[in-house]
Amino acid sequence: MRILSPASANMPRSRTFGAGFFEASLALLCCATVALAFPVGNTQKGKLAFETHGCPQCHGNQGQGFSNAQTQAPRIGPTRLSQAAFVGFVRHPVGRMPSYPSQDISDGELADLYGFLQSLAPAVKADPASANAQNGKRLYMSDGCYECHGKEGQGSTQTGGSRIGPIQIPFSAFVAYIREPSAEMPPYSAKAVSDADLADIYAFLLTRSQSTPAKSIPLLNR
Amino acid sequence: MPKSQQAPVKRRDFLKSAAMGAAALAAAPELADAKPAGATPGPRVAPISPEAEFGTPPALEVLTADRTGSDFMVDVIKSLGIAYVCANPGSAFRGLHESVINYGGNKDPEFITCCHEESSVAMAHGYAKIEGKPLAVFAHGTVGIQHAAMAIYNAYCDRVPVYILAGNILDATKRINAVEWVHSVQDAAAMVRDYLKWDDLPLSLPHFAESAVRAYKIAMTPPMMPVLLIADGELQENPIPNDLPLTIPKLALAAPPQGDSGAIAEAARLLVAAENPLIIADRAARTPVGLTRLIELAETVQAPVIDQMGRMNFPSRHPLNQTQRSRELVCGADVILGLECSDFWNALHSFRDQIHRTSLPLTKPGVKLISITAADLFSKSNYQDFQRFPQVDLDIAADAEATLPSLTESIKSQLTSDRKRALEDRRAQCAVARQESLERAREAAGYAWDASPISTARLCAELWAQIKDYDWSLVSFTTFVNRWPQRLWSFDKYHQYIGGHGGAGIGYGAPAAVGAALANRKYGRLSVNIQCDGDLMYAPGVLWTAAHHRIPLLTVMHNNRAYHQEVMQVQIMANRHSRGVDRAGIGTMLDDPAIDYSKLAQSMGLHAEGPITDPKDLGPAIRRALEVVKHGEPALIDAYTQPR
Repeated sequence: MRILSPASANMPRSRTFGAGFFEASLALLCCATVALAFPVGNTQKGKLAFETHGCPQCHGNQGQGFSNAQTQAPRIGPTRLSQAAFVGFVRHPVGRMPSYPSQDISDGELADLYGFLQSLAPAVKADPASANAQNGKRLYMSDGCYECHGKEGQGSTQTGGSRIGPIQIPFSAFVAYIREPSAEMPPYSAKAVSDADLADIYAFLLTRSQSTPAKSIPLLNR
Repeated sequence: MPKSQQAPVKRRDFLKSAAMGAAALAAAPELADAKPAGATPGPRVAPISPEAEFGTPPALEVLTADRTGSDFMVDVIKSLGIAYVCANPGSAFRGLHESVINYGGNKDPEFITCCHEESSVAMAHGYAKIEGKPLAVFAHGTVGIQHAAMAIYNAYCDRVPVYILAGNILDATKRINAVEWVHSVQDAAAMVRDYLKWDDLPLSLPHFAESAVRAYKIAMTPPMMPVLLIADGELQENPIPNDLPLTIPKLALAAPPQGDSGAIAEAARLLVAAENPLIIADRAARTPVGLTRLIELAETVQAPVIDQMGRMNFPSRHPLNQTQRSRELVCGADVILGLECSDFWNALHSFRDQIHRTSLPLTKPGVKLISITAADLFSKSNYQDFQRFPQVDLDIAADAEATLPSLTESIKSQLTSDRKRALEDRRAQCAVARQESLERAREAAGYAWDASPISTARLCAELWAQIKDYDWSLVSFTTFVNRWPQRLWSFDKYHQYIGGHGGAGIGYGAPAAVGAALANRKYGRLSVNIQCDGDLMYAPGVLWTAAHHRIPLLTVMHNNRAYHQEVMQVQIMANRHSRGVDRAGIGTMLDDPAIDYSKLAQSMGLHAEGPITDPKDLGPAIRRALEVVKHGEPALIDAYTQPR
């Protein structure tokens, strides 16, 4: 007889770690403007903001994060959030992170900070600009990305797979997270998926369409 | 008095008498040939030969009986108000079977033909969650109970009453052939006793009557759970002796246990004083009254509610329904009230499934935790459904639904005017957040809207458009479709959702839906089932049961062509070992060939269409199926869907 994983509110636990966080992130993502060219801000100013505002106290000097009962701060160097989601989370955090309103840290400073955090991603030996999106689509399926994120990258609250279509983080952050995910996602080592393959997958995700505006869909307004 | 009852010779006692007579004859020579003292004692009674046991019948053999034990058993079942018996036919309860359909007139209870005992019990599971009381299940001895086992476990974990009667032949000399031997057992309930609330083996009809009423009462007392009675073949089939006084005990259900008044007052004090109180409801509402009571509690203290959806606890679009903000609210709460939470600990922690499994508390230091659950009143050891130990501050061992009125009244008595005004502000904030959650859900549903395979959001939106103007009832659980119904639809009546499986034993979904639809039929409700493909393949014969008994049920397949949860589990292992995941489909996919569920359903007499791959075709297909269902028949639409 077939038995599911332990239930968490009727969800399999092994796929629900951080689901609420993902949901919060998704909620912010869906409000975000599509930006296929990612603003990076001024990384030097961002480093200064990072230190000035006390981020290292919980997230470490390199944004590597600490997972202990006191801080529970995830790795943010780089962050897997889009810039819009990042700003939204800093303004309205979930969990133990304190809120940083705009009078404490401006949107401009946050843009710089975001750029600094993404610059902490390790160097990647591939360039999505010259990648093959068609091959990426094939890899997206064969490497099992669709299992949690959906075949269009639309995400799933049940699996915990966040929305990644269209992708809204820089390629280097994308690769860094896949290699060492801080939450529930299983890690993909370079042995399993090369940087070049990830570039193709990334290129495929860039081609995914935005949400059809809900207001234009009568079925979603009932 | 009927002639056949003038000499109450029991069917099986005839054989017994014949055997004993033959044995006495065989023993007689030994008595005549007594051995001297000190000699090795020989056998006092000679072995019974098969010829002696099944010897020539007496000249006045009685071959018929007007009234047997099983008739009385049906009288008892009728006295309990049981409307249906779900069963796969089995000789171990042939007496009961015949008595139900002939002596009982096949009405209250009506015999529902099932193709698997797992389906019988899961139908009972779904039925009880709509009707609030059990139907009966008949099961064959040994193999029938074995087939039923997983479904019994689901109902046990889900705290749902199921009333099971199983046949057996306890007396070894009455088993007529090899099959009856292998289908007989010393202690029939033993194989499932770990997940029963109570069982018994009645040895007489008066004993049966008392135990049958007792079993019903026990099953219906929170925490509700399955019960099992063994109806021995002899007891079923022997004529009722003329001089046997038979009465059926009066049934008075136990009032559900309410919380201690002092503890309730303390819980009220904590909730009134809290700045960020939170209510987490899992199996809180047992009946429609429970839903009303939870609304009153939440509105009295203006506390947000996270509905874990073990039952239909709270209206989905109520301003205080903040289920989509669960993590944020758990993190920020200073008082959390858990109502019949099956896994309170897990609601308050995060858990990470990497090589080193770790967990962290989500709650902030100093949070006060209150639990009200009847689960505290009944525990067993072997199966681990009691979950991890939650370190609560105030533990109230009581039925939540029964306790809510006193808790609400206690809160009202402690609320000042100033406090009430402050609470109104909290409600207003929740209302804004609720609307934002709905907008976010609609926005999220817009992703992959036109995708093929069809997104689960699109499937649920298409379905909602067709059913929303009916008195509908969603009789399947929604986890595997990302809970889109609760995120997009408006639920405000108790019968609109039945919760989940309880024990996570797959194969529950289809039969539970048919059972719930059976309960909904007399109310004229439209029962709707979003059916996972893997779940249906365990025992698809329940579709035939729905067609045969004219049980109206609209089923839309969530056909992702895989045991998708297990695809992901294998992927986790493959990733962990850096071996790639391209082979994760081996052993987990339900494809090549793709199963044609419309043909499967059609073969069992259902209207069915599909597979539907273009989302634009789904709405019209649902409309056509709905026309069939409105006329009292089941129908199925097969939709190719995204994994989740």
